[in-house]
Amino acid sequence: MSGKERLNIFELIKKVVFTDFVKGLSITLGYNVRGSMTLKYPDQEKWIPYKRFRGLHTLNRDENGRELCVACELCSKACPTQCITVIPMEDDTGRGISDRVAKVWKVDLVRCLFCGYCEDACPTRAVRLGRDYELACSDSSCNLKQREELLVPQSVPESFEGGVVAASTFEASPAGLRVKADLTKTKKRPW
Amino acid sequence: MSTVKINGKEVTVKDGTLILDAARDAGFEIPTFCYQADLMGVGSCRMCLVEIEGQKKLQPSCITPVLHGMSIHTETPTVMSARASMLEFLLANHALDCPVCDKGGECELQDMVYKYGPHKGRHAEPKFKFQEKDYVLSPVIIKNSNRCVQCMKCVRVCGEVVGANVLGALGRGDHQEETSFLRSFLDCDQDGNCIEVCPVGCFMRLPYRYKTRPWDLKGKDTVCPYCATGCRMVIEERDGIVIRAKAQLGVGLNSETLCARGRFGFDFINSPERLTKPLVKRFGTLEPASWEEALGVIKDNFIAAGKNIGGIASARLTDEELYLFQKLFRSMLGSPNIDSSARWAPEAVEGFIKATGMDEGGASAFDCMESDTVLITGTHLSDENPVTDYIVRRISAGRAMNLVIASPRAMKLDSSASQIVRHNAAAEGHLLDAVTLSVYGGNVDKLRDVPGINRIKDARQDDLAGKAGCSADDIKAIARKLTGEGSVGLFAGTEFLRYPGSIPGLALLKNALKALGKKVTIIPVLDRANQRGAWEMGVHPGFGPGYSPVKERGMGCADMLEAASSGELQALYVVQSDIVAMHPDENFVRGALSGLKFLVVQDCFMSETARLANVVLPASSFAEKDGILTNQEGRAQIIRKLLPPPVKAKRDIDIIRAVGETFDRSFGPKNPVLVLDEIRKEVGMYGEVSLAFNNKRNVDNKLDLKEALVKPAGLAEGLNASGLETKLEPKTDEHPFLLATGNHLFHSGRLSRKSPTLIGLLKNAIVEISAEDASALGLMNGDKVRIKGRYYEAYATLHTRSGSKGGVAFIAENYDDVPVNRFFRRGEGVPRVSITKA
Amino acid sequence: MFSDKAKEEIQQVLKKYPNRRSGVMDVLRIAQRERGGHLVKEDMEEIARILGMQTVEVNASAAFYTMYNVEKPVGKYHIQVCRNISCLLLGAENLIKHMERELNIRVGETTPDKKFTLSTVECLGSCGTAPMMQINDDYYENLTAEKIDKILKDLK
Repeated sequence: MSGKERLNIFELIKKVVFTDFVKGLSITLGYNVRGSMTLKYPDQEKWIPYKRFRGLHTLNRDENGRELCVACELCSKACPTQCITVIPMEDDTGRGISDRVAKVWKVDLVRCLFCGYCEDACPTRAVRLGRDYELACSDSSCNLKQREELLVPQSVPESFEGGVVAASTFEASPAGLRVKADLTKTKKRPW
Repeated sequence: MSTVKINGKEVTVKDGTLILDAARDAGFEIPTFCYQADLMGVGSCRMCLVEIEGQKKLQPSCITPVLHGMSIHTETPTVMSARASMLEFLLANHALDCPVCDKGGECELQDMVYKYGPHKGRHAEPKFKFQEKDYVLSPVIIKNSNRCVQCMKCVRVCGEVVGANVLGALGRGDHQEETSFLRSFLDCDQDGNCIEVCPVGCFMRLPYRYKTRPWDLKGKDTVCPYCATGCRMVIEERDGIVIRAKAQLGVGLNSETLCARGRFGFDFINSPERLTKPLVKRFGTLEPASWEEALGVIKDNFIAAGKNIGGIASARLTDEELYLFQKLFRSMLGSPNIDSSARWAPEAVEGFIKATGMDEGGASAFDCMESDTVLITGTHLSDENPVTDYIVRRISAGRAMNLVIASPRAMKLDSSASQIVRHNAAAEGHLLDAVTLSVYGGNVDKLRDVPGINRIKDARQDDLAGKAGCSADDIKAIARKLTGEGSVGLFAGTEFLRYPGSIPGLALLKNALKALGKKVTIIPVLDRANQRGAWEMGVHPGFGPGYSPVKERGMGCADMLEAASSGELQALYVVQSDIVAMHPDENFVRGALSGLKFLVVQDCFMSETARLANVVLPASSFAEKDGILTNQEGRAQIIRKLLPPPVKAKRDIDIIRAVGETFDRSFGPKNPVLVLDEIRKEVGMYGEVSLAFNNKRNVDNKLDLKEALVKPAGLAEGLNASGLETKLEPKTDEHPFLLATGNHLFHSGRLSRKSPTLIGLLKNAIVEISAEDASALGLMNGDKVRIKGRYYEAYATLHTRSGSKGGVAFIAENYDDVPVNRFFRRGEGVPRVSITKA
Repeated sequence: MFSDKAKEEIQQVLKKYPNRRSGVMDVLRIAQRERGGHLVKEDMEEIARILGMQTVEVNASAAFYTMYNVEKPVGKYHIQVCRNISCLLLGAENLIKHMERELNIRVGETTPDKKFTLSTVECLGSCGTAPMMQINDDYYENLTAEKIDKILKDLK
């Protein structure tokens, strides 16, 4: 009997000195001094994903600037959603590493699962899933990416390690919104 | 018969059967590269090695015949490791550029390595390369020797089947390259059979280069739309563009072979020149109109014309369309005036049908080649019907038989013949009469009652031989061969239709040989895909469907034009036929057509005839419709629709039906299947024809499906074959050459002129004379010459052919720049021309 | 194209064969000798005409054998050194290297003065006298470096 009463007394004391309240406050207070967990995206910081990340497709070139793609269509064959269309053509002017190059190489991002099968299928490592992930736009025009766009080097080079937060600037123009990361100013992820 | 054990399973096969065939029949798979049933075995690829008990070394099954009591193993570890090793050796120097290679995805080497291969190579040495870049071997062939597996199929098909013999194996061992003379540009038949047989991407189609992958293509079975050989093929499209036509091993009478026309001539389908909208003439110019408007104009004018209306349908339409066409005229418009050819007289057609026994049902070319003596006459088989030529060459090389070729012009097939006769142009009849007379000489008793024998029995042999332009010995030799042991086969071509005076000679020879108790098989050799079908559907003024008699005889093409110029005929409905370009005497046709009140032309292209029309209806090509075509043998074969007709064009059957429906809503049947049902009901010949695809493997050259042959009609009394004569212009010193015409190897009618690839093979007109005539005139092969007739002159390139009979100039009917029909003048017979250096 | 003498010889040679086509090897040999050690396009075309063959068949026959030099001109003296097993065991490799040094060319090449062409061949059937070589139509046997020097000097 006495034990039960003692317990109630402890409870009472706790209530009187606001123990739980102080506990809660101390956690909140801790966050205040620990620094920010969120990114100041898009205008100050941007997350640069790891190498393993599968973002927007990119078509690569070799060291001489020739397109690696030989338009073998294996990516479109491997694609589980049939979102890649390749139409080959002949061009022996040195545009590509072979005289077979792509006339059309387009990917429908609405259908794409970003599964990376196209990367695996590619015999020349021409198609890679890059680290661009800002794919949204206000109409459906950006869903279809053509060869010309994909041949432009992506913002994060393949050699860059990734998994860091980079300083960024936010540019809004009639052409669209852009978050430009400065890969020279990076910091470790805060979590 | 020998009994052998294959993997423990006992099978009994004919003596001399190859182990490979025996094993495949028994259901065991043996991989091969170099084996092909209709080619000579070489045993070079070593993929088919099998183990035979009691023999230490593995044996190539594709050249080893079975022996009684053999015990063969095809799947032991030794055999499997031998296969893997062979593939490893093949890959040692193989370029392995599959991602770039056009064959990737349907490559036999890929499949084989995937299935049997070692999956890793041990050869680390740098690969031997023949050349860095692919080289162009001909306007349609591109070559990459680095991928070669040295199976020699290309060389063998070129020599044994095509007979061109322009490919050879240069070098030896792994440095052996199958290519042309010093890798030079090929001047051959351009048929691309080397491409089709190549198991890897060594020979490739140039027009197909880097266009697609095989798995992107959607294909449909069809029949080649050019000549009447009736080659089965598959046409394949990607995104609405037909990219490739290919033949399949063991399917159809052609198996894997096609000619240049069939393999590369499909690209007219996607020509930008195709008609896509109905056109109606307003104030002298053709302007786009709606279908309702066009049909309304047609209805008004057809009603105004009443019974004074005629119809000409192309012999490239399907049987269903042709049947509906004649039904439209005979039962809806009430006019008997229909024809299916702008070139040939109706009487000649009837005579030819009777003489070749088309009304007695179909006859297979393979049966004809089973005969002990085969006579080919009235056709330049190698150019007109190249695949028939391949069949004749292949079979005649494989068995003991007499092959007699009678033709004024030398041809590629001559090398297979046991006797070649060069007769004067247009003298087929005299030649056959002379032969018959020679046959009659020895068998007077038996042949006394043969109908028509009185015509020649008092003639002198020398006269006839002289008229035919060949020696009496030649004629005796032919007669001896025809009357010798065994059966007789005849290939009779379109020259008989061109020179109708020859037809009685053909009929008489057939009857005489039959009276001697011989089995005679005749194959009419025709040059339009469905010419035979057009006749059997009754698109002819003298007979109805199935050669049935008609109540009222109508006018043929020439008579209709005559009637048009006299104002008697008021309206003409022309379906896919270019009469201006095809009917002898172009000026007469133009005059006649302009005399018409109303001309409707339904065509895929703006043809010369269509330009004169009041209404032009956009029609569809063979790739855009379903139906059946009847080839020259009488074999009914299905074509399937691959694409929709372009824009507002319609299938011909729908257009013909729509025209009929403007008069009577119930005109029909409404679709091809129902039309076929009606044909089966109405036309006895087609009642039981099987339309099952012939998908049998090509094991013993049995590529023909007898059930697909049409049945005898049994009612040919209606055929009127009177007044057959050949008119020739008299020979003068001014015009020494008789003008012969026909189709060029790369072209067929005017349709093939719309194919960019075929135009690339031959664009401008050539005139062909014999090499002897050319040297007598001081002309060389390739010279630019002036061809002058009495009414027309033109310039063309000279082509000389050694071994041809002198006094013949050949200009094909296909050229836009030298329309050969302008040399002709109505009623004046076959023209003569002079050839001089331009 | 061929000299009258060669044409005469070809006709003589062809008498040996029941089928003209079978004479292709002999005729090619004559043509190669006429041309001075190799064959060119025109020769093969001419032979095809004479024998009634296709040009590519003549080309294939010539290309199969190493003794015919198709479109590969050789020097006045064509040195063919055997490198098969007997000769190899007895030092043919050293002899080849020696000759490469002496002539200052590599195997398969011709000296700039168009006098010597050095090539290696398979067994010439004279293993008993290995190492050996053939210069044009003559055999030189039991070779040593000194012997070769003398032969080359005589030919120079």
